[in-house]
Amino acid sequence: MMILKGQNIRKAFGHRTVLKGIDIAIDAGCVKGVVGENGSGKSTLVKILVGFVKADAGQLRVKGKIGYCPQEPLVFSRLSVAENFKYYASAYDLQAYDKEQSRYYKYLMEFFRFGQYKNDKVLHLSGGTVQKLNLAIALMHRPDLLILDEPYNGFDLETYQAFLEFIDVYRKQGGSVLLVTHLLTDNSYFDEVYKLNNGVLE
Amino acid sequence: MSISRLHTSTILISRMVIRRRMVPILMFVIPSVFFLVVYLTTSERVVPFEVASLIPQRFIEVSERFSSLVFFSVASVGFLSSYIGLVLIQDSIDVNKRLIICGYHPSELLMSNLIVLLLIIVFVAVYTALAILLFFRPEQFVLFCFALVLSGLVYGFYGLLVGSIVKGELEGILFIVLLANIDAGWLQNPLFYSEALNKDLIKYLPAYYPSQMAIVAAFESLSVSKVLIGSVGYSAVFAGLANVIYYLKMRKV
Repeated sequence: MMILKGQNIRKAFGHRTVLKGIDIAIDAGCVKGVVGENGSGKSTLVKILVGFVKADAGQLRVKGKIGYCPQEPLVFSRLSVAENFKYYASAYDLQAYDKEQSRYYKYLMEFFRFGQYKNDKVLHLSGGTVQKLNLAIALMHRPDLLILDEPYNGFDLETYQAFLEFIDVYRKQGGSVLLVTHLLTDNSYFDEVYKLNNGVLE
Repeated sequence: MSISRLHTSTILISRMVIRRRMVPILMFVIPSVFFLVVYLTTSERVVPFEVASLIPQRFIEVSERFSSLVFFSVASVGFLSSYIGLVLIQDSIDVNKRLIICGYHPSELLMSNLIVLLLIIVFVAVYTALAILLFFRPEQFVLFCFALVLSGLVYGFYGLLVGSIVKGELEGILFIVLLANIDAGWLQNPLFYSEALNKDLIKYLPAYYPSQMAIVAAFESLSVSKVLIGSVGYSAVFAGLANVIYYLKMRKV
C-alpha cells in the first residue's frame, strides 16, 4: 500500500530553483533515504511533504498519519519534557485515559531515557536530549510514515545505534520511514537511497 | 474548535509566559516606576484641561499630579499589554507551526493567546488601579479599572497584530514603541491635548477612547458609552486583522 506519492514537485526561491520536478513514492513498511549536499534542497523537500511549505507546482497524495521530525528541534523550551508531550498529545488528539496509549507513552519515555528529565525544562537539557525529544514527538501518534530531517544531530554513538535499531523495529511493525540526511554511513537499513542533486532525485 | 485543546494550550501558554521572567517583572515594575516618576516630578498645582470626549465642551480642574497619574496608568497598561501581545504571538512561532502540522487549528492557538492576554490585562489593570489608590481615589473606581482594561485590550491586540506581521522581536518592539509612545505616551496626555493643534487627528488614535474613559471615570461621575464603543471597535479591528494574518501565515499548506 502506498503511503505517500509526490509527482513533479517544484519549488523556487526568487530566481533560484531548488526542486526541479521531484517524483517520490513511499510504500508501507519501507525505509527510504535521501542524501544530498548542504543547501541541495533536502529540507525544502521535507517541508513540502509535511505541509510546512507550499510547492510551486506538483501533486502530493498522502494516505495515513505522518510523523515529522524537523532538523532544528521544534519543541517548547520553557516547558518540561512531560509538558511538551502533553501539548503535542493534545495536537494529535491522543487521549490520556487510553491504556494502550499510556503504555506506548511509557515505552517512548523509557526508550529515549527521559525518566530523569521528565520534569526538567527543555531549556536546561543537552542538545542530544532535546533532539531525542524532537524525535519522540514525531512518534507519539504512531504514524504510518515517519519523515526525519537530519534526525541524529547531537546523538551520541549509543543513541545513534539505538535509533537505527528502533527504525528497524518500526519498519517490521509496518511503519515507513523517509530519512533525509547529508551523510549516510550505513545503507543496510534502507530499501532505497536517493541522491538529491541539482534539484533532481537520482 | 476543540475545548480540550483550547484548555491545554491556554494552561501551557500561561506557564510559558510566567516562566519568561521578564514578563512578570515588567508587569510590576512598569506601573510602579511610572507612578514613582510622576510622584517625584509633578506638583499639586491645580491645572485646568479640556475633556475632549464630553459635549458640550468641559474643563476639569485637578492637580497636575492626579491628571498625570491617570494618564500614565493608561499608558503603562497600554505599553505592557502591547509588549505581552507581541511576546505571546512571536514566542515559539516555528514550534506553533509544528503544532498546527500535528493537528491544531491556527484559530485554537490564537484564541488561547487571546485568553492568556486577557487574563494578564485584567491583572495588570487591577494592579495599576489599586496602586493609584495610594495617591487618590478615582470618582468611579470600577469604571476606571474598566478603562485600563480597555487600554490593555486596544494595545494588547495591537501587539498581537504587530507580532503577526513582523518576524523579529526587536522590529516588533520598535513598531509598538512608535505608536504607543506617540499616542498613549504623549498625544493623549490631557494637558498636551488641551493646547494641541489638529485635535481631530488625536481623536482617531487608538488610545484616545480608553484615555478619555479613564479621565472621565477618575474625575467625573458622567457616562461614557461613546468612548466605550470606540475602544471596543479598535480592539475588534486589531484582533480581527491579527487573526486573519496569523491564519494566513500559520495554516497548513
